[in-house]
Amino acid sequence: MSTVLQHRQPAGSAATAAAPAKKPSTKQGDSRQRRESLVAYGFLAPWFIGLGFITIGPILASLYFSFTDYSLIGDPEWVGLENYQRMLTDERLHNSLAVTFQYVFVSVPLQLALALALAMVLDRGVRGLALYRSIYYLPSLLGGSVAIAILWRQVFGANGLINQVLAFFGIQGEGWVSNPDYALGTLIILNVWTFGAPMVIFLAGLRQIPRMYYEAASVDGASPARRFFSITVPLLTPIIFFNLVLQMINAFQTFTQAFIVSGGTGGPTDSTLFYTLYLYQRGFGSFDMGYASAMAWLLLMIIGGFTVVNFLASKYWVFYGD
Amino acid sequence: MRAEPGSGRPLRNSSVLKLSAAIAAVTMAATACGSGGGDDGNVELRFSWWGADDRHSTTQQVIDRFEAQNPGITITPDYTDWGSYWDKLATGTAANDAPDIITQEERYLREYADRGALLDLNELDIDMSSIDELVVDSGDLDGNRYGIATGVNAYAILADPQAFEEAGVEMPDDSTWTWDDYIQIANEISEKSDNEIFGTQSMGYNESGFAIFARQNGESLYNEDGSLGFSEATLEKWFDYSVQLQDGGGQPSAAENVEIEAGGPDQSVISTNKGAMAHFWSNQLGVISATSGRDVQLLRYPGETEFERTGMYFKPAMYYSVSAGTDHPEEAAKFVDFLLNDNEAAELILADRGLPANVNVRAAVLDALPEADARTAVFLADIEGGIVDGNPPPPIGAGEVVEIIKRITDDVHFGNITPAEAAKRFMSEVEQATG
Repeated sequence: MSTVLQHRQPAGSAATAAAPAKKPSTKQGDSRQRRESLVAYGFLAPWFIGLGFITIGPILASLYFSFTDYSLIGDPEWVGLENYQRMLTDERLHNSLAVTFQYVFVSVPLQLALALALAMVLDRGVRGLALYRSIYYLPSLLGGSVAIAILWRQVFGANGLINQVLAFFGIQGEGWVSNPDYALGTLIILNVWTFGAPMVIFLAGLRQIPRMYYEAASVDGASPARRFFSITVPLLTPIIFFNLVLQMINAFQTFTQAFIVSGGTGGPTDSTLFYTLYLYQRGFGSFDMGYASAMAWLLLMIIGGFTVVNFLASKYWVFYGD
Repeated sequence: MRAEPGSGRPLRNSSVLKLSAAIAAVTMAATACGSGGGDDGNVELRFSWWGADDRHSTTQQVIDRFEAQNPGITITPDYTDWGSYWDKLATGTAANDAPDIITQEERYLREYADRGALLDLNELDIDMSSIDELVVDSGDLDGNRYGIATGVNAYAILADPQAFEEAGVEMPDDSTWTWDDYIQIANEISEKSDNEIFGTQSMGYNESGFAIFARQNGESLYNEDGSLGFSEATLEKWFDYSVQLQDGGGQPSAAENVEIEAGGPDQSVISTNKGAMAHFWSNQLGVISATSGRDVQLLRYPGETEFERTGMYFKPAMYYSVSAGTDHPEEAAKFVDFLLNDNEAAELILADRGLPANVNVRAAVLDALPEADARTAVFLADIEGGIVDGNPPPPIGAGEVVEIIKRITDDVHFGNITPAEAAKRFMSEVEQATG
């Protein structure tokens, strides 16, 4: 508003005359501006307090803790880079990184592929689209919950639903979550199953692609596959990129599912020891909060690193059409 | 830049923040609230314990009786299962919000005591004159008494005679049986019953079993100074027993072991009538007998007469401790005294926290004990003569050892590592955890 007032100043006034004339009005504008700012900050205050106490403060605190030996019960003791040095030789940490990378690099592409495939089907104009969309979206809302993780453990248990179905066909099933060869697989399936969120975004993206491109291509005799790879995929790359970045970051932070399915151990034999789960074990199980804080910072750097790589690489494959 | 939203938000979501949020919540709790009474002179105390539903309802009744006797003191219960108990206690203590009366366990006692989180109970008005001499000083560290034993326990074999009978195998004579006998009997049960009944449940998920084996060999799990007190060869032999049971079919498959272990006592092979033997603490006999619906018996550990000496020992089942941060140490002491010495409390708790450590109380409740717990009492009395000594208090970090031995035993079961590799790994991991 104050800018509007200033604009209403007679445009023709000379610079020399304008300076003294302007002063009182700016002062008045300033105080009003200040008052309005105060009101605005007042309304923003809860958020700022939250940001400070719940976000920035703890981030800085964890940075400090990462350079200390902190047992949670006692006081933190400064140890410099020791926690970070220990990471180099911590085999369980390396294993947890391997498990997490496997999980991210297998489940995210599968999840996105499934999301895109279903979005394409729904985009054909299925009747009751809203209903299907909601049904497929449901797992995304529930997937990270404790209830679903418990359900998963039951379904994939030695006497679970999966094995009962297999037994019906005369197949002797495994204890899927209790066998280290398959345990991570069940968690990957769980993540793939939560394809609803990227699917809804894909669906919106597909709707943005002008129909005339397809019509023109059809007229030219392009096959459905050709149309998919030459029209749909290029025009959808920004959406794919967005989903990829988001889902990767989510996958790196997966905790609840592994915690519940393995009973907090990351077992059997560390086969589901996700990075975040190991971090939790160090911090709250071993009273090693200093090390856990250092691990949190390493995770931040890893996720940050992959996100940067994603953005750099996006220059070569994401097509913005402008 | 249409995809830009992806760049800012996700970073804010990173798990550093989740962790930090937890820390922040804890910090705020620390500044905002201290436990304590209201202005009306009513004292509020919080009492924490771990366990299953059964213990929760019994303990609530105990609290009700205490409150009836002591108007003006309110006790708030604070309970979870074993696994989350220690996470919760650690965060609570870090936030200066520890419960006033804390149930402790030997693996964690030093962790808290050494960091000044517990009061010296000798300074408080608690009558300890009737506590069993075998365990009365078991909560002492550096001359201070940080915990008083709730009751006495022994790690032993639970055996289901009916399962033995169904498999057509004789119950062993537990006063003389060797480890080879144990393995052979277990394998035989599985074989004779066509794997309908497993001989035994894996013994590898609790280091207490190995502690007995080490003692039988004249060694110990930990030395007085907290260092490892056993040789690599002994531990290798221990893991090799597991391999013999695994290969001989005496225990469930590696994957089944994982599931059974995750299910807790309720899912033990004895509780589900799928096995003949299992390794548990003697105070768990009651609950496992009840779930199994059978007259489950306690047997001495194998090998008690095989090597240098006997290995079984009495362990304080739990400790009652008082938080250093309590605002009302006197009232907290009153409650601990009630839990330990009052018959009204004992007749409810019975043998749930081990056979009562107070010998007078023990005598008083002996007749009231349910059948299974009465068997425990007889068993403990039977083995008492053969027990050489107790175990030194475990070092800081001992709470991690259960998880370590579970993980390594799984690796052995799945055949990922040999017993020799397992022994090496266990020793290096435990040394790191407790060092």
